[in-house]
Amino acid sequence: MRKTTKKVLSASLIATLAVSMMACGSKDTSNSDSKADAQTKEDGTTSSDSKDNAKSDVEKPSKITVMCDGTVMTEDNGRAQFESALEAALGLDIQFIQPDHSSYSDVLQQTITGGEWPDVVIIPATYYQSYAKQGVLWDMSDAWENSDLKASGRVDERFVDCLYIDDEDIKGLFGMSATRGNGCVTYVKQQWLDDCGIAEVPTTYDEYIDMLRKFKEVKGTYAVSAAGLISKEAPYTNYLPEFYQDAYPDFYEKDGKYVDGFTEDAMKEALQRLQDAYTEGLIDPTAVTNKTSDCRTKFYDDQFGVFTYWAGTWANNLSTNLEANGKNGDIVAMKPIKELGKYVERQSPVWAITTQCKNPEGVYKYFFETMLDGGEVQTLWTYGVKGVHWDTKAETVTWGDKSKDYAEGEFHMLPSLEDSTKLFAKNHIDSTIVIDTWVDSDPGAKSIPEVSQKSAEVFNENSVIANVAVSNDIIAQNSGDIWTCRANIVAEVVTGSMTVEEGMAKYEKEVGDLVEDCLKSLNK
Amino acid sequence: MSKKKKNQVSSKPLSARIYNHRWFYLMFLPVLVFIIVNNYLPMLGLRYAWYNYNGVKEPVFVGWDNFAKMFSKAGFWRAFYNTLQLSIIKLILNTFAAVIISILLNEMVNLAFKKFTQTLIYLPHFMSWVVTASVFGLILAPTDQGLVNTILKAIGVVDGTAESPYIYFLGSKTWWRPVYYVINLWKDTGWGTIIFMATLAGISPELYEAAQIDGAGRWQRMKYITLPSLANTIITVLILNLAKVMNLFESVFVLMNDIVVEQSDVLATYIYSQTFNSGTIPNFGYTTAVGLARSVVGCFLVLVCNYASKKTRGKGIV
Repeated sequence: MRKTTKKVLSASLIATLAVSMMACGSKDTSNSDSKADAQTKEDGTTSSDSKDNAKSDVEKPSKITVMCDGTVMTEDNGRAQFESALEAALGLDIQFIQPDHSSYSDVLQQTITGGEWPDVVIIPATYYQSYAKQGVLWDMSDAWENSDLKASGRVDERFVDCLYIDDEDIKGLFGMSATRGNGCVTYVKQQWLDDCGIAEVPTTYDEYIDMLRKFKEVKGTYAVSAAGLISKEAPYTNYLPEFYQDAYPDFYEKDGKYVDGFTEDAMKEALQRLQDAYTEGLIDPTAVTNKTSDCRTKFYDDQFGVFTYWAGTWANNLSTNLEANGKNGDIVAMKPIKELGKYVERQSPVWAITTQCKNPEGVYKYFFETMLDGGEVQTLWTYGVKGVHWDTKAETVTWGDKSKDYAEGEFHMLPSLEDSTKLFAKNHIDSTIVIDTWVDSDPGAKSIPEVSQKSAEVFNENSVIANVAVSNDIIAQNSGDIWTCRANIVAEVVTGSMTVEEGMAKYEKEVGDLVEDCLKSLNK
Repeated sequence: MSKKKKNQVSSKPLSARIYNHRWFYLMFLPVLVFIIVNNYLPMLGLRYAWYNYNGVKEPVFVGWDNFAKMFSKAGFWRAFYNTLQLSIIKLILNTFAAVIISILLNEMVNLAFKKFTQTLIYLPHFMSWVVTASVFGLILAPTDQGLVNTILKAIGVVDGTAESPYIYFLGSKTWWRPVYYVINLWKDTGWGTIIFMATLAGISPELYEAAQIDGAGRWQRMKYITLPSLANTIITVLILNLAKVMNLFESVFVLMNDIVVEQSDVLATYIYSQTFNSGTIPNFGYTTAVGLARSVVGCFLVLVCNYASKKTRGKGIV
């Protein structure tokens, strides 16, 4: 090899390495402290404690890094336009970090462990308490208490109060959500009801089972499906609520003492109901291996008629997708059956400020409060960007093979950038479950499809907020084993591999000691 | 270059030799830095196996507690045995299936058909495990839509009623492992034939001709020429792959479910569930301890394989 060639090659390789290393290590620390600054004190408060921070002269941050899941406008749906519009409205630089929605919790955990935290993160409800206790989250209780938002009186404070943590380890408000937690309601296909000659949706468990039997008899297929027989995230039972009824398969406080709901009679009875229905062929035989997307596809394909899924916007999604598949799109949102009493409203994922944020008061004031300003910024977070996701000008909107004329000043959604055969549905905030009222009125209220409104009404009027998932070091160490065992037993019992009694005996044998340790740690 | 000159070069001091080849060393530098940064520096994280560490608060030294906890857990041992069992049976089945298919391909006379068959059996290797799991989920579904159950119904093995239900292959403790091996055979056997086909191509045709002249039939030629020629390659492939048996993850992860967790949970999926399915911030110290144990066993297997390789082939693999 010629000497010049060697020199050039060597220099190029070194330069490449240097540039790639610089790229890997590059980060903007304009609004972040070091991890060491975020350590939690022994008494559970954090170094960024907000006790003295409720000042009126809050400094406006120049830049905010935000880690969010797929509930915020995705790139395919026009996040760039949303980001620009939001930055223009707030007068600051917003940098979104948006991992894939399905792996958000994993990526969030890796980010927190990595030590470089964004200023703002969305925290799934399951992790809220544990992250707060570990000192990851900034206590925003003073910021909230002294905020213009609270003073405005537009916020339904029940949905803020339920996020206060008050136990021996930690006290305060470490996150807020713009919407209620929402939850699942049971949808029944009107066509299936008509085909089976059923005039009214069921109101009791007996009527519910009779309906499933009738569906199976007339349609020749299973009647209800779910993605798994139990969820590993609170409230755990929300995809098959009619069978679980009052069972709660995790630790919860009962009469001032923590108990393991998995071993209670309510859970045993629930397992028996599920087993009976599965054996009878009423439940999708592949429920254990289903993913949520599998269930939706089967529902659109008319393979089953009863589907417990998210209330509000999703009702319209289900309906329009049925129509897109050439089926009847009429679905009925059932009120909870008598034995169930109420649907469970999950604890909402919360927006939180990390303790590495340099100016949490500023972020609270200019990011959190504006999200619920009841005007321009809330419109962005709810409906997206004017001219991109919605509009009010006179025009003919065409999506797929449909089109509609709108008059000047009439609010209407535009075709989705991701899929032009559908109209854009919503940005992060679902206006049917938002926790505040608009200053004037919801600009897009009339654009919310009736099916979504009805579904949201049924849910909002018939739901209770789920318990906050409890957590401490002992639970953290044993939770993986306990939940693997619980999910295995539910699957085996329901599919008939073992009886309920055998399942409970196995639970006691395999993780009884671990459960005991967890209960002791909670009840000490 | 003469022998004398070669000796002169090698007798120079090390610094002089490095200076002499400085541009080559400079070219090697990025690779060295890259390997140190990406392969060796992360190993410092192994120290957390002796700490309780949740990634947020400062690690707390706990000595051998995490290892003691690991050895006392039934879940760990179940995952350990499943890893060995699934990996080793899969390895043996895949290797021998690849040998058989290679020999069959080698016997094919029609070159076009041989190429077509080779391409066809290589293709599954390029399909991602997620797609593979979805496809087999549909094929094996315990419903009228499931291809296999439809066939079983047609031939009267099942009838889809409560008395004789469809077989839930992926949700059956009995069927999951056999199905797992079959899916692996379908996906990887074709790819595994490449190395055997190369060996077979290297066998001298004169040997076959001589055997044919001596009256050897097809079976005898295979028995006395083909198989002995392949023996060394088979052992090499087995040994090389045996060193990787602890790395089982993706194929199991996408096919496992709550019913068959006792049959399918391997060490990598156990670590995953302890880390990400705990519903709270996990103790990374414990999962690091499990990961370290897995690496130690893997390392031990590499050394055993290296020893076995030296014995059988006269040279090691590391």
